[in-house]
Parts: sequence; C-alpha cells; structure tokens
Amino acid sequence: MLNVEHLSIHFEERGKREDAVKNVSFQLADGEILGIVGESGSGKTMTALTIAGLKKPYAVIDGGSVWLDGMDLLKLDDAQMRSVQGAQIGMIFQEPMSALNPTMKIGKQLEEVLILHTKLSKEERRNKVFAAMEDVELRNPGELYDKYPHELSGGMRQRAMLAAAIVCRPKLLIADEPTTALDVQTQDGILELLKKLNQKYGMSILFISHNLRVVEKLCGRVLVMKSGEVVEEGSVEGIFGNPQTEYTKELIAAIPTACGKNEGDKSTVDEAGMEKDMWEPRKVLEVRNLNAYYREGRARRQILQDVSFALYEGEIVGLVGESGSGKTTLCKCVLGLLKDYEGEVIHHTKRPQMIFQDPYGSLNPRKTIGWILEEPLKVQGGFTKEERKRKAEEMLERVHLPKEFYKRYPRELSGGQRQRVSIATALMTGTKFILADEPLSALDVTVQAQMIALLKELQEKEKICYLFVSHDLDVVHMLCDRVLRVEKKQVTV
Amino acid sequence: MKYKGRSYNFTLGLGITVFMVALILLGFLWTPYDPDAMQGSLKLNAPSLLHLFGTDQFGRDILSRVLVGAGSTLVIAVGTIVIGGAIGVILGAVCGYFGGWLDEGVMRICDALAAFPSVLLALVIISIAGSGKYKVMAALGIAFIPSFARIVRGEFMRLRESDFVISARLVGVSTPRILFVHILPNILPSLLSSLAIGFNNAALAEAGLSYLGIGVQPPDASLGRMLSESQTYLASGVWCAIFPGIFLVLLVLGVGLLGEGILDRFGGGR
Repeated sequence: MLNVEHLSIHFEERGKREDAVKNVSFQLADGEILGIVGESGSGKTMTALTIAGLKKPYAVIDGGSVWLDGMDLLKLDDAQMRSVQGAQIGMIFQEPMSALNPTMKIGKQLEEVLILHTKLSKEERRNKVFAAMEDVELRNPGELYDKYPHELSGGMRQRAMLAAAIVCRPKLLIADEPTTALDVQTQDGILELLKKLNQKYGMSILFISHNLRVVEKLCGRVLVMKSGEVVEEGSVEGIFGNPQTEYTKELIAAIPTACGKNEGDKSTVDEAGMEKDMWEPRKVLEVRNLNAYYREGRARRQILQDVSFALYEGEIVGLVGESGSGKTTLCKCVLGLLKDYEGEVIHHTKRPQMIFQDPYGSLNPRKTIGWILEEPLKVQGGFTKEERKRKAEEMLERVHLPKEFYKRYPRELSGGQRQRVSIATALMTGTKFILADEPLSALDVTVQAQMIALLKELQEKEKICYLFVSHDLDVVHMLCDRVLRVEKKQVTV
Repeated sequence: MKYKGRSYNFTLGLGITVFMVALILLGFLWTPYDPDAMQGSLKLNAPSLLHLFGTDQFGRDILSRVLVGAGSTLVIAVGTIVIGGAIGVILGAVCGYFGGWLDEGVMRICDALAAFPSVLLALVIISIAGSGKYKVMAALGIAFIPSFARIVRGEFMRLRESDFVISARLVGVSTPRILFVHILPNILPSLLSSLAIGFNNAALAEAGLSYLGIGVQPPDASLGRMLSESQTYLASGVWCAIFPGIFLVLLVLGVGLLGEGILDRFGGGR
C-alpha cells in the first residue's frame, strides 16, 4: 500500500549541508503495523513527516518517491497533498497539547477535519465525530464535545488527537512517538487502542518511537534507523531475538528491564541496605507527618496526607505514582518551593538540588557552561576568579565532560551533555541530596544507559542520595534501592 | 528565501541607522551655516549648490537646521526610551516575577495610563509642568512606561517557572540577581525590538508635539517644529517640508528595520 523508494533528504541551514535521510526504502502492507526505531537524529521523524507531506521548509528532497496506492506523494502539489492529508493519511504526535488548538472545543476540532474532506451534513458530521470518540474509547462523548483541550488529562488529549486523525478513516496512520509523554499505565492504554483500531478497520500504522519496549508490544515488523540509513529490518521476533547489527544489539541492551535483577540480587541489595543503615545511618532528608495543600481558586485541596519517610546517604530512592497523584507536590515540598504545608521537612545536608526532565530548559540559554557552574560558588562567596574556574573545570571532569565545555553555550551541547552539566551544577553547591525529576525520559536509550552509569558512579564515590522521580517502572527497578509510591494522598514504601 | 529576506532587515536597518546617527552627530559638531542665522536676502531660496536643501522663510539654511533639528529629535527619543524603558523594565520584572496584588495594582495603573493616547498624556503633563526639551522627554517617558512594563512582565511571567530559574533559586541566588542577571538577558531580543519601536513612537510623538507647538520652543530646531512651520509655505517653498520629512522617515525606518531584524536574528529559536 505504502511504498517508499530510495528516499534521500538533506537540510541546509546557514550554508551547512547535512544528510538527514539516505536512500531509505521500505514497504508497508495493508493492515500492517511497522515500527521505526532509532535515536534522535536518525532520520525517523524526517521520513515520517515527508510521507505525511509535512516536511520542514529547510529540508530538501534529493530523490526517491513515496507511493501511496499508486500515487507518488512527492509529485503532488500543495492542494492535492492537503486532500490526501487527513482523508487518507492521519497523523498523531508526541505532544497532544501543542497539536490541539487550545482555543477550540474538542468537538469542533474533530468536525473541522470532516468539513475539509467531506460534504456531509451537520447531523452526519456530528454522528461521525461521536463514532470516532467511541472508537478511541473516550467516555461521555456528549460532554467532551464541548470541552477545551486544557480541561482534559494527557491521556484523554492523546485520545482526542487520535480521534481527529481517524475520523475520516484514513488508510494509513502515522504515529510519531505518541506515547513518550505519557505515564506507563496510560501508555499501555493507547497501545491497546492502536491495536484495536488496526484490527477493526484494517488501518496500516507507521509507528515511530525510540522506546523499543513499546515497539515490541505493538509492531509486527521493525525498521532500525541510524544516521539516516536503515541498518536493519525484520520481524519483531527476529530483531529482538536475533539482532544482526552491533547498533541494534546496543539499542536492545540499553532497554532497562525489570527482570535485570533477579530475586537473589534483591535480597543481597536489601542486606546491603540494612548493613548501610547499621554502619552509618546518616540521614540526608526527613519528612515527618507532612500534609500538603494546593490552592485552586479559593478552594484549598489536600494533596498529601500524613506522609513520613527518611532518605539516607548514598541511596537511590525511586518515587513513582500516576500523574496527578501528588508526586510533584511532594517534590516541591522537599525542595522548599511550596510553602503551604503542615508537618516537618528536615534537611541534614546543604540545599537540596534538582535535575529536570527537559535538558533544554534547565540551563540558562544566554550563559556559558562555565558561568552556570560558577554561579553556586558566587552565591557562597569567598572564592577568587581563578579558584572558581579551577573548580568548575574539575567538576566538568568529574561528570566526564571535556574541560573545553567551560566556554561553550548550552545550545552547543546535546541533551545528554546538558543533563551532565545539570548534575555538575547541583554538585557545585556541595549538596548530598539531588532530586531527579524524570531525568532520563527525554534522552535516547543509549544516552540513558550512560547517564545511569554516571548517577551510579556518583552515588558510590560521593555518597550522593537521589530521589528519582519517574514513570518508567523499568528504569526505577533497575536503578533504585527502594521505591516510594504516591497513591491516594499517601506514600507507601 | 524567507530566511535571507529577513536577515536583510537587520543589515539594511543597521546601515540606515548608522548613517543617520553619523549625520546627526556631525550636526552636533559642525553645520554648513549657523542654523539660527537669518538672511533677509535669501528667503525661501530653492536648493542650490550654496544651500543644498534650500533656505526657509527667514533665510536660514535648511540643511543646517535639519541636522540640528534631527539632533534634538534623536536626543528626545533616546531620553524617552531610557526613562520609559528603565522604569518599565523594573516594574515589569517585579510584577511579572512576583505576581499577586502588587502586580494587580501596578498593572491596573498601567492600564489607566495606556488608556490615554501617549501624545495626549504627554500633552496633559506638559500643560501642567510647562514645555521645553527635557520636560517633553520626561512627559513622553512616563507615557511610554506601560508599553515596556507590559512586554517585560509577560516575558518574566513566562520565565519565572522555567527550569533554569527554579534551579537558580535552589542554588540560593538572590532575587535581584535572578531578575536582572539570570532572566533579563533572555528577554533582550524582544526588549531591544520593543525599544526600537518605542524609539520610533517617541520620535514621531516629539514631532507631533512640536508640530502642535508645545514641544521644542523656537528658535531651537526640531524636525516636527520645522514641518509645522513649513506648512504655510508649502506652495512657495516645498523643500522646507520635504527635507525634514525625509530625515524623519529615514530615521524611523532605519530603527524600525533594525528592531525587526534583531527579533528575526536573535529572537527565534532558543
């Protein structure tokens, strides 16, 4: 049905040429689910956007063709392409909030697709919209019809976007990292749904993800891409069971697995943990009888009720819970960013520090890495300029970054390198406690593995205690000594 | 294509601005004739080699007067955005970062100020305080505070919750330092471009006020004053209006393009 032949694309920005997609060919049969995996920059999204006719203006197609049912999509003009988009190709993205129009009611947005592509009457359109909402298992379509995107949860938005993509019953659905921004439970729901739609309507799905676990669950066939080229192609069983190339092996090895630690391992860890407690029971953080509140207009809602726990030096503690469970509130209390609480939060170390999820937002874009690293020292005072520089450079080495980064700006660094700088900045304050909020979820699997190694190294060498917030249970089980679960205002260990 | 067209704005704007400012600076130091010297025999002479831009109804050299007049327009416009910009940035930063009742109060006052056209507001202030170069500057500066405060406030509200600001707070950076060392540099592109727009509005407002006869007082020259005086002689000496007009347009165009160019070049992306 879909046939991509020898597709090559390059970017041109400020005179620099960069090959994004190199001679890529593949086929997608009717009713098939094909996964494309690879790190960011591997060209997978570029390929998908080109098929959907949404290529960026600075991307130039060098050659090749994209056949959809005997029609070369690359040869269509804008108007013809628009009639194909939505009607024959539906697309969903990673971030449903930015893909939905915030000022338009959900129902209207779904209807708009029908207005553009069909000549149905108002009644018929309404019925189709309700049918699509039922297809994606949104409850109470009548009520949702008149809601705005911000009134929906992340999972519901993703479903609404999916409804908009399938309301015209396209033959091909392109899904670009549709589950990456969701927590695990919601993720599974969306995957189930995609499977059902595929079976019910025979819709072909092109599923793009860097998360191999998700691809394994959903897809029949997988394409592995690296720096613009297809390095391996095969059935899911083949790729996961018997990977041919080094790169695929690396990707698979980097998947965090819950079964990585067997029962025997666990007991030794527990013993080690107990040993630690007996030998040096040095607390870094104590939370006693914490009640936290959140102000919503005039109402004061209780988010956490009677929460108590303690964290010790050199341990990694996971913090899990569904979105909306109060994870973020707990973090804010611990960091002292939320003042509306009762109970005690006691720090036995210097200021607690934090590593953020988005490596692109956590470093001041107008300052050099050196400046950012020296800021904690300037706050403490009492260092000369040379001392500050020396300490900053030492710190760069401790997180395995070259000294030369001192003069660089955040935009010149990759996501993983930026996360390392974030860790370095936190350590510059001399703290022993770091709160890490989803620090890995924006990174590629291979970079994730390197980051995990760094976190572990610092934990062992410097006795840093991490509170590791994540919705990726696999990572949590692999990395953490203990897990705190936030549920129904309570925290259980 | 679009990309190239945009970067053109910056270059062209910078070129025109530098050229105009250079001419004006020259005017401070040297003019072909004394801008205020009247010569009865040379009333309303058309442009010639002796008087490149011609002479006005009192026989004064228009080139000299345009240079000096553009100088006072420039000084007033710069003074206005310095006063309005400085107070506006501080107010906007504090309001945007802290929010709450302070923000509510200050912004309502700004709304009230902005409800008057800035020229009208300046008119009121001048009629109370009296006219003159520096009073015009102060009056326009006050009238321009709300527009800067709004822009800066919006940007600070956007950035106060950003990860790098939270991380600076956790490190223990003091609030003034967060405001002006951590956040302010990040809003420079939009601030500079709004300053450029403010500059243009100020230059035009000054011309407007002088045109109404309450700006720069005679015999001092300003572009607005010259335009105002020349209207009586439009039929007999059109050059009296054309050259000050061209100067004003070029000055405003140059700075306007520059502002646009700054936003295109440095505002986009991260």
